[in-house]
Amino acid sequence: MADDAPSSSTFAGNSVDSSINQDELIMKQQREIEQEISETIPLVGDLESLQTLEKEYNEDPVYMLKVKDLSAKYKYIRRTRPDGNCFFRAFSYAYLEHLVTDKQEYEKFYEIAKNSKEILVALGFPQFTVEDFYETFMEVVQRVGEHAGGTLDELGAIRQELHDKFNKQGYSDYIVVYLRLITSGQLQTEHDFYQNFIEGSRTVTEFCRQEVEPMYKESDHIHIIALSNALKVGVRVRYMDRGEGSQVMAHDFPEGAKPLVHLLYRPGHYDILYA
Amino acid sequence: MMAGSALRRLMAEYKQLTLNPPEGIIAGPVNEENFFEWEALITGPEGTCFEGGIFPAKLVFPPDYPLSPPKMQFICEMFHPNIYADGRVCISILHAPGDDPMGYESSAERWSPVQSVEKILLSVVSMLAEPNDESGANVDAAKMWREDREQFNRIAERLVRKTLGLPPPE
Repeated sequence: MADDAPSSSTFAGNSVDSSINQDELIMKQQREIEQEISETIPLVGDLESLQTLEKEYNEDPVYMLKVKDLSAKYKYIRRTRPDGNCFFRAFSYAYLEHLVTDKQEYEKFYEIAKNSKEILVALGFPQFTVEDFYETFMEVVQRVGEHAGGTLDELGAIRQELHDKFNKQGYSDYIVVYLRLITSGQLQTEHDFYQNFIEGSRTVTEFCRQEVEPMYKESDHIHIIALSNALKVGVRVRYMDRGEGSQVMAHDFPEGAKPLVHLLYRPGHYDILYA
Repeated sequence: MMAGSALRRLMAEYKQLTLNPPEGIIAGPVNEENFFEWEALITGPEGTCFEGGIFPAKLVFPPDYPLSPPKMQFICEMFHPNIYADGRVCISILHAPGDDPMGYESSAERWSPVQSVEKILLSVVSMLAEPNDESGANVDAAKMWREDREQFNRIAERLVRKTLGLPPPE
């Protein structure tokens, strides 16, 4: 063995050990940073007055003007954890919360949600990879349905239940995974259309494997367009950045749809807005 | 909920792998009391220097599987650019996005909850056939793969024979 193998192929080569330690160290640091974020920011927070944003940007005149503009249009904000899943988490929370008081919209959505798994299986997703996420998602959807349009007490109780489920890592992440799969399914079903949005030489399927299906991958316009089209839900995104002007620009997805979900975008992150 | 979901999923994957085993791969729980630790046997791909070998590996699943990927480690001696000296496998599908100390290409396929044990093992077979010599899991193996293929092939042949319980070649 000593003849043909270099020293590091034995199990205690020094050079190899030091490279392992460095990688492990970086990963450990990353995990610690992630955990730090986790511990300070809930997956989905409580309702807060928009004035909390004013405090955040006290010394920033560009953002301050925009917060003022936003305050004229919205009363509350609900923050989400900035973990790369925030668009999906914010969207699903805000929409399910809306369905609590909109029985008609719920009935429409229920049919779309119920049929969504078949679309994924037909696209070639193995049944066993989709099943559990679908069931968790439908369980939460059905809980909303049982109480939609009920008495004030019932509405309060189901809102609290939603809030609790969205703050349980398991439930919350399973819902995020399922929305990622619906988004991927829509992109692949309409791949001719969505190919135009993808920069570089990647195919739609490659894009889905790399940018949509993995957790923690941030969402871009293409994710929002695909998800809002797949579920036929109008989303209005308010953009707050360092761009010119004092207004927070609105962008509706799909174009022309009545927005039922309002999100605030600040570079790299989505929170929920309430009028 | 997490560990229960993980168990359900692992049982479904095991059933699937038993009903439709991919060529050259056997995998399943070490014992049915603990579905979170699997053993796999991987046949070295034909037409490569690992052809004919039967390489045992261990897979350990986290309680939040499939949100997070398992860890995989060969339990036989290996010499390969993408396998650490202690047998741990270093390929992009075993990592979530952002979990990125190896500097994989951003286009490489990452772990996602719709990947599976089968996909991982198939990726490992491809990795045996076509090492990625950019990855630094075993720097010496990567260097030898690039610069002295004959020597690399000789080591691989010895490892293949070792997995079959044969003595080193003359």
